[in-house]
Amino acid sequence: MQYTLLITGSPYQSKACNTALRFIKAATSKYPNCIKGVFFYEDAVLIGNQVAQPPRDEINITKAWQEIAKEQNVPLYLCIAAAVRRGIISESESHRYELEQHTLAEQFQLEGLGTLVDLMSTTNKVIQFR
Amino acid sequence: MKHTLIHLNSSPYSSLACKEGLDLALVLATFEQPVDLCLSGAALSILTSEQSPTIEQGKNLHKLLDGLEFYDIENIFIEKDSSWANTETSWQGVTSLDKIQWQAMFSDYQQVFRF
Repeated sequence: MQYTLLITGSPYQSKACNTALRFIKAATSKYPNCIKGVFFYEDAVLIGNQVAQPPRDEINITKAWQEIAKEQNVPLYLCIAAAVRRGIISESESHRYELEQHTLAEQFQLEGLGTLVDLMSTTNKVIQFR
Repeated sequence: MKHTLIHLNSSPYSSLACKEGLDLALVLATFEQPVDLCLSGAALSILTSEQSPTIEQGKNLHKLLDGLEFYDIENIFIEKDSSWANTETSWQGVTSLDKIQWQAMFSDYQQVFRF
């Protein structure tokens, strides 16, 4: 069985990203490859901000997701429309908007909602964290 | 093919949740995935006509409702006793469900996403 995780809760105003992280760790420890992809939507896209600096005595949730993605080879998608409006910009988008900076953290990629639809129709279950 | 329900429960003017929920519904429909909508709580205010928000107040999502049928989104459910329903100034394209039907509805879908 393969899952898609849809995360919509803000990393600052909810524990959605943290709970989903715990889920993915538990799930992949028992069934490696059981997560086909993780799609961040709404304020959850703020997880992909590479310049955010959490206090040192708190979890760096972006880094924690980068590590699990690398370790388990799970793609992390951010909705491109939701991300760009919130200032999460990839290098290629920065060219398009004629910006000098880009803010997208490594391991995350900007994708359209069509990617979420594809994940929905090719996995057994979608679990939303909000 | 999976049948999806998008449940809008947030105020259209206090966050982007309603807009982004509707965006997801439209994209699902564009990819020919069956999708229905249901509205509750503050999201019911989308149904009220004669809305004219300023650009600072947010987008007028009410205007999207008439276009839903072009995406083959034909089922928009509300709960019958919700105070916003059945008023003269409310959008008429909704299907009202009684409490039992409303509760049972959520089990009819393989996927339910809440915004």
